[in-house]
Amino acid sequence: MTAPSKTPRALETPFLETRDLTRRFGALRALSGVSLTVAPGTILGVIGPNGAGKSTLINVITGHLRPTAGTVCVDGVDVTGAPPWRIARAQVARTFQIVKPFRGMTVRENVAISAMYGPARGMSKRMAFELADGMLDRLDLTGLAARSPAELPVGDARRLELARALAARPRLLLLDEVMAGLRDAEIHSMVQLIRSLRDSEGVTVLAVEHVIKAIVAISDEICVLHHGEVLTCGAPQAVLSDPRVVQAYLGTRYAQRDGSS
Amino acid sequence: MSRSAVAWALGAAVVVAGMVLLPSQLYTGQVRVVTAVLMFVALAQAWNIIGGFTGYACFGQVAFFGIGGYATAVLMEHANWSFWAALPVSALGCAAFATLIGLPLLRLRGHYFAIATLGVAEGMREVVTNLGWLTGGGAGITVPTVGGRGTAWLGNDGFYLLFLTLAGLAVGVATLIARSRFGYGLRAINQDEDAAAAAGVNTTRAKVLALTISAAITALVGSAYAFQQVTIYPQRLFDVDITVIMIVMVVIGGAGTVLGPIVGAVGLQFVSEYLRQHYPQEHILVLGAVIILVVLLFPSGLTGVAGRTGLLDAIWAYRL
Repeated sequence: MTAPSKTPRALETPFLETRDLTRRFGALRALSGVSLTVAPGTILGVIGPNGAGKSTLINVITGHLRPTAGTVCVDGVDVTGAPPWRIARAQVARTFQIVKPFRGMTVRENVAISAMYGPARGMSKRMAFELADGMLDRLDLTGLAARSPAELPVGDARRLELARALAARPRLLLLDEVMAGLRDAEIHSMVQLIRSLRDSEGVTVLAVEHVIKAIVAISDEICVLHHGEVLTCGAPQAVLSDPRVVQAYLGTRYAQRDGSS
Repeated sequence: MSRSAVAWALGAAVVVAGMVLLPSQLYTGQVRVVTAVLMFVALAQAWNIIGGFTGYACFGQVAFFGIGGYATAVLMEHANWSFWAALPVSALGCAAFATLIGLPLLRLRGHYFAIATLGVAEGMREVVTNLGWLTGGGAGITVPTVGGRGTAWLGNDGFYLLFLTLAGLAVGVATLIARSRFGYGLRAINQDEDAAAAAGVNTTRAKVLALTISAAITALVGSAYAFQQVTIYPQRLFDVDITVIMIVMVVIGGAGTVLGPIVGAVGLQFVSEYLRQHYPQEHILVLGAVIILVVLLFPSGLTGVAGRTGLLDAIWAYRL
């Protein structure tokens, strides 16, 4: 009788669920009937060739784009079509593929804004700056706190993007290529950080990534998008050795050669 | 209170006392000039809230000025209100108007917002011109100041104090906003609206609130201006030049700072006055050249330059 209550919640309710998500830009279907689920406290990696619809997927989930059809549910609540700030206050944070810092503010103020508006609506300025300082420390940005984000190199700029997202104390984190342009050592520490978010804080993560090595290192599951559709989903190694995935990435010729060798 | 807060309070008290006592040291003409400067400090600071902090270049700001002025004139002439009752009610009415037009217009970004607000101001001028039975139309309307009706005209020193109070109010409101959570939200919207929304800023509410506050202050100034001028005309109260002057003052002083609009308003008014007296024929041309030079040399405004050289940090201990 005790068995059902011990069933991990993961098996019952996904924390993030998209159903038949479609987004058209004129005649182009950037997303076409995408249905995904991410269990609470797990990391879903989303990969796919350029133009597969990965960023569009994140933009539709966070309300920056309205879906043409389909639904988005976060923690069982339908948030389809809600404005981005409302979704943010449901403790959903994101990073942008092209980093979007507030250029007229310091690094510290950038992080504090997320803390002021993200997690609890009533957070005072003082509390927000304290939380921001903790986040800067955690992401190794303390030395850059007073700098302008416009002058940061790419690695620091990506960590700032992540610090801002984390300062909102998210339960769901959507990462849009946070590893792009990073050096190996930076990728390694980013992988450690994202794992620790899942393992010690139970954050649910959807990570769009081009760096395959990194996505395999963090993902519990991987989905492949191709031409706006889900090609396949599953365990990382199984997905990467799927011939359809190799074909989507490298073209038919390479898939055949790979299969014959 | 911390030591710096005490220092600021003392400094502010000295400035206020000096400004209140100033007219006794000036000729009547000079009092009028300083009064005009104070009016433009208030107007520039009001525009700064929506155009500077929030980054929404409102090219129809004069609509709020005209609505404030005409609401006051109509209430005093037709409803026999005193100026002191008409002043706040005109501002509240204009705030409501700004909220209503802000909800649709603030969905537009960049040039589209600027053009739409310009259209609102031009449209309001036509509305006021054509409501002759209420506003006197193109012939203007005269505020009752004599014969036991309305409120007695305040005199040069009285209007000096009134505009000093309004300038102080505008600077005070801008300071509070700059240092608040709301102010951070507005600056975030200015710098990247998508990222602001992703951080949880209710961008629609913040933008509409900023426009409403800005409009209310502008309407207070318009109301006081109508009373000062006694007779007002649509061409003057809805003159697009007034919007342009506000914007130029904010831009040359430093948009999105509290000090910038003050520096811009004081600087532009005095330079303009100086040129008018010394180069009566070509002063507009020279003024235009001065403005172009300042904008080219100091793209972030005069205070922006001082800030970068550390001068501003020394005298302005807090970032405003």
